[in-house]
Amino acid sequence: MTKQSNNQMLKSALDVKASKSVIEPTITVQRIKGAADESNTEKCQCAIIRADQFSMYYGSTVGVKDITMDIYPCSVTAIIGPSGCGKSTFLRSINRMNDLVPHARAEGKLEVDGQDIYDKRINLVNLRQQVGMVFQKPNPFPKSIFDNVAYGPRLQGVKNKSKLQHIVEQSLKASALWDEVQDDLKKSALALSGGQQQRLCIARALATKPRVLLMDEPCSALDPLATGKIEDLIEQLKSSYTIVIVTHNMQQAARVSESAAFFCLGELIEYDNTSKIFSNPSKKQTEDYVTGRFG
Amino acid sequence: MRLAVRGIIDRAFTALTALSVVLMCFALVAVLGPMIWRGTGAVVFQGTVEFRKMQLSIFQRGDPSSLEKEINQAEHIRKVVYETIDKFKRGIDTEALTDEARKIHREFGKELRYKDVSIDEYTQLRSISRDLRNKLENAFVCRDIEQIRENIEYVLKYENDTRIKGTRAEDFFRLAKEFQKAAESTDLSRYYEYAGSLAEVEEIIVKLLRPKPGEPVPALVRLRYGATRWDHAQKLLDNLLWIEQWVEKEPGKPLVKVLSPRAEQFAGTIIEPLFDYVPENLTRMLKPRWTFYWQYFIDDNVNSHYFGGIGPEILGTLVITLLGMLVAVPLGIISAAYLVECASDNFAVRIIRMCINTLAGVPSIIFGLFGLAFFVLFLFPVLGFESKPCILAASLTLGVLTLPVMIRASEEAIRAVPQTYKEASLALGASRFKTFITVIFPAALPGILTGVILSLSRIAGETAPILFTGAVALGPIPKSIFDSTRTLSYGSYDMAVGDRLAMMVPHNQYGMVVTLVLLILGLNTVAIILRSRVFKKLKGR
Repeated sequence: MTKQSNNQMLKSALDVKASKSVIEPTITVQRIKGAADESNTEKCQCAIIRADQFSMYYGSTVGVKDITMDIYPCSVTAIIGPSGCGKSTFLRSINRMNDLVPHARAEGKLEVDGQDIYDKRINLVNLRQQVGMVFQKPNPFPKSIFDNVAYGPRLQGVKNKSKLQHIVEQSLKASALWDEVQDDLKKSALALSGGQQQRLCIARALATKPRVLLMDEPCSALDPLATGKIEDLIEQLKSSYTIVIVTHNMQQAARVSESAAFFCLGELIEYDNTSKIFSNPSKKQTEDYVTGRFG
Repeated sequence: MRLAVRGIIDRAFTALTALSVVLMCFALVAVLGPMIWRGTGAVVFQGTVEFRKMQLSIFQRGDPSSLEKEINQAEHIRKVVYETIDKFKRGIDTEALTDEARKIHREFGKELRYKDVSIDEYTQLRSISRDLRNKLENAFVCRDIEQIRENIEYVLKYENDTRIKGTRAEDFFRLAKEFQKAAESTDLSRYYEYAGSLAEVEEIIVKLLRPKPGEPVPALVRLRYGATRWDHAQKLLDNLLWIEQWVEKEPGKPLVKVLSPRAEQFAGTIIEPLFDYVPENLTRMLKPRWTFYWQYFIDDNVNSHYFGGIGPEILGTLVITLLGMLVAVPLGIISAAYLVECASDNFAVRIIRMCINTLAGVPSIIFGLFGLAFFVLFLFPVLGFESKPCILAASLTLGVLTLPVMIRASEEAIRAVPQTYKEASLALGASRFKTFITVIFPAALPGILTGVILSLSRIAGETAPILFTGAVALGPIPKSIFDSTRTLSYGSYDMAVGDRLAMMVPHNQYGMVVTLVLLILGLNTVAIILRSRVFKKLKGR
């Protein structure tokens, strides 16, 4: 495929997307729609996730190095790049899941909602409830659908049965799974199909009412039909949540995201609007990647 | 390798595996079969009227009125046996006869003193009585039939003496006549042979048909009843009818056992027909009936397992097993959780792991000694308990015994839980403890239950650890965990090395062993069913 036809393909994808979107956010200060729990009239221009020379090391190996980027509320940001470039590392740093890896060490500043999350005094439980995560392979607990979605709220201390029922229903509706499972919430979650399981995981993450939703290649284990459903879901969710999605699939990034960050070998190469990244990237590395020269 | 050769090897391998399975099944049947067959004999057997008598008087079970009818019927038949033997005995038991003669003489003398007789008559009658007594004694002790007849005739001459009529001295004549009859029918030269064999015969009859009516009730309970089981009665009958003799058939070779009928020994005597009468009428004397003695599992035993059941043993085994599990399972799961979740991979932790794996193979007697030394002798006084073996010490020892197995199985199970569950749970804001309790532990439950099953079997069957720490062979039913108890495992051992008494009730040994096997099987089955249900729920079916 030539560079031209590639660009044309991306452009057409972006055109389709452009007709749907209302606002085209840029990296600079701009008035953007507010977050879910703020009224629509209030507009926030502060970044909800701010990285400042952030680095993550596993022992002596570099995970990511000197990342500086701002992610704004109610947007979808895609992180793209070849394998092993630190996309998942950076994503997992945002909700401190890297603490599970032995000898993991962070340097620099990473702020979520104005708070440095690598501060010693941070409340991890609270952080992880504010920053939800959806993993690559759907991993519902071996419990019932209801218990899966209610897991988060129960951790938060919600014991009232009707309240739980309400939260579960809301979350399942938000993740477009309610219609398919409302008859039998006691069914085991492992009996669902792959796409349903992933939507269940999204519902589970949404049940804690997070501000940010991190998605680590959510569709890579799913068939195209399920992938399409998830992408539609992301489209619906972006009005209320900030979504950061890591993806190997450039076309998917072009379809769902407004901003895109290109990582390579642990460094942030370019971070800009998706349309610009795919049509007219400023760095040569970016252009080489999006046109398929390597990756 | 050529295809044909490979095919042959494949087929040979399949045949070998099939053969090994067949061998295993065969071995299982060969070992378990006789055990179960004999063991059920402890519960399902033909019980005689003696058994029902024993049940009624010791355990208050059964219908008194119908039992009494049965007893009367049996006694009627048995009377013949008793009387024949008594008669024969009187014929040859000269000591008793002599005693009786002397008694008669004494009592006659007493009688005379109360009667109104003159001194002369008194002296005369006394000397006659003495004379008769001496003549009778002579008759009793001599072996020659002519001499006996002489003496008896002399005694009987006084039969019509009016002075003696109506007094105690008349018994002299009765004694004389009886003895004469017995002497005529007995070959007195074989007296000693009779005496020995008769004692044996009497012993067997007594074991079969006790009690002899009129005799005082023995203190030992097991001597109060005859054969309670029909198979036991058959064995006694064999002993009655046949004599075992070890004969040297060929010089220099080991002795050979030869059975000869006992009837030959008593040929010509009044006892001889007994050896036909008893076998023919044994069913009517003992009234065997198929009994289902399910209370075997509840009753306490009587007189070292001669009668009764193994209830306390079963209770002891169950209590010790459950308490031991209570010690081993929580500790095992928590230790495994620590080793998987929290322990860093440093030298100390590696040493601990090595120790746990080594302990899994330590002989159980070592644990018994450890339990005695640590729990009974050291820990209990420190805690203020009495320093003696008890259920608590035994359970603690057994818990420590199976702790390594439990830790190993739990560790494997917890490690096998997919890391993704842990990640998902943590990403939702759960603490590590909450994650373990609500996600990891339920997912690891099937593997942990496997460890529970293994521990259960081990604890229920172990004998060595409880030898010094809590088990006794005979004793009261424990009232608290600070008492010792009897258990099935220790009881089986004790009966196997025990005294002759235990040999007389082999059904009890088999019963104990089979009960232990079935108990373990039952507990295992429950645990396996539980595990499969948890497993199915985990898999979403």
